[in-house]
Amino acid sequence: MRPAIAQYYPGESVIHRLDARAKFVAVTALTIALFVRDSFAGLAVFAAAGVVAYVLSGVPAAWFWRAFRPLLWLVGLTFLAQVLFAPGEPFFSFWIFHFSWAGLEFAAFLSLRLLVLVLIGSVLTLTTPPLALTDGLAWLGRPLRRLHVPTDELALMVTIALRFIPTLLVELDQIMRAQRARGADFGSGGPLKRARALVPVLTPLFVLSFRRADELALAMEARCYRPGVVRTRLHPLEAGAADAVLLVLTVAVIVAGLLV
Amino acid sequence: MSDARGMALACREVDFSYEEARAPIPALRGLTFEVGSGQSLALLGASGSGKSTLLQVIKGLDPPEAGDVLLDGSPAGAAGYAELRRQVGLVFQTPELQLFAASAREDVAFGPRRLGWPEADVAAAVDEALELVGLPPDRFGGRHPYALSGGEQRRLALAGVLAMRPRLLLLDEPFVSLDPATRRELAKILSRLRADGVTLVLATHDVDLAWALCDQLLVLDAGRAAAAGPWDFGESGRELLAASRLREPFLVELWRRLGRDPSAAPRTAAAAAVALR
Repeated sequence: MRPAIAQYYPGESVIHRLDARAKFVAVTALTIALFVRDSFAGLAVFAAAGVVAYVLSGVPAAWFWRAFRPLLWLVGLTFLAQVLFAPGEPFFSFWIFHFSWAGLEFAAFLSLRLLVLVLIGSVLTLTTPPLALTDGLAWLGRPLRRLHVPTDELALMVTIALRFIPTLLVELDQIMRAQRARGADFGSGGPLKRARALVPVLTPLFVLSFRRADELALAMEARCYRPGVVRTRLHPLEAGAADAVLLVLTVAVIVAGLLV
Repeated sequence: MSDARGMALACREVDFSYEEARAPIPALRGLTFEVGSGQSLALLGASGSGKSTLLQVIKGLDPPEAGDVLLDGSPAGAAGYAELRRQVGLVFQTPELQLFAASAREDVAFGPRRLGWPEADVAAAVDEALELVGLPPDRFGGRHPYALSGGEQRRLALAGVLAMRPRLLLLDEPFVSLDPATRRELAKILSRLRADGVTLVLATHDVDLAWALCDQLLVLDAGRAAAAGPWDFGESGRELLAASRLREPFLVELWRRLGRDPSAAPRTAAAAAVALR
């Protein structure tokens, strides 16, 4: 199976073993710092931290690259938009577009910032199983329960949704294969024709999903699921010394990034 | 379908593997076998031994990494191969999950329409296929697929493939989760296709139905051919079936216990009754 955008890569590296909550807090803090700081030097510090974390994660470059590639479009578009429309003294003009050194510099900065952001975010999602991430988020969102936000239920919804994405992808693949075996063609024709070609795929997929949702709800009830009850976990999140080190290092990186 | 002549199938040293996170997982390894025109092959083997993969590789949904799938003797890339490939019908496991149209007739018509047949030919093929699977078009043609029973849905999905008039029919576990009556009806449909000369490849765990319907067998073990050719109920043949978590067919065992030649065992209970009377 080909990795989707920044899809989890199973592993045993230092980064993999860190607690999901610590990783999430570190990434959030770095992201904020990344957007506060507006100099190339600061960017370099955060980029270096991201590269070190990626190297430590042991995720193969091919996997990372395939997961990363689709996002380059976004970066490219950002660069283009900035270059074409940024203000500044133009050194070259064409129709409504004006190219200026200031605009180029600004575009390069924004694109690099986006790249670093994607890199740091990728390290999180590449090394953290989605379920651990959801559990971590639910834990971090606990204070909101006082405001009657159903954090556990929201986390459960996300968990179930994530759990069934691979299942749905497998089913989608099976249905597409079956319809291709009956002569369906998903790759050619105009947009309208392509959209119509999806009807034989989406109809069974929806029917299957609704049936499964129904069965899952029944199965959960049969096993005495009740909403709004404090739940214990089979795999409790455990933070250790390594996670404390991560947070300290993160603070150090942020301070360094903001001061250079 | 009555005029359909079977297509000859041969695989030569076919390799295929699935791409996974760490390393490719080999699914088929150096697979070589052949099925003559109008013959029927039982594809046996434990779950995960590569049966479904093989069927999809034959149909051309996945190209083999190495080796050749020969249809009527032509390798992929030969002139007319695309047309030959269109004449291969593949019925997926639980194909009723792929029904989508608003009526049985429309669903069956999907394949023939994709082949670009004139509408009159499509209508004729749809009626013929519905009739063949025991869903008379006048009663079932207008029904919504999801309003049919499980067994009827399975037969409707089969009709969707048969309407394309395949010369080689690949079936992936067609008997799974059917009640005995539907199983029997489906087996009847398949033996009728066989009598009409359609080449059959039947992946199944049901050795009794395999014995009733197929002249030869191919036993897969982790993507390799553990056995290929005519049924063999000698010492080694039985060991091989046991090693693949299978058993010999009931009628064969009965013949053995009666002290008769197991390889001459009848294929059906009716034939056994005649032989024993």
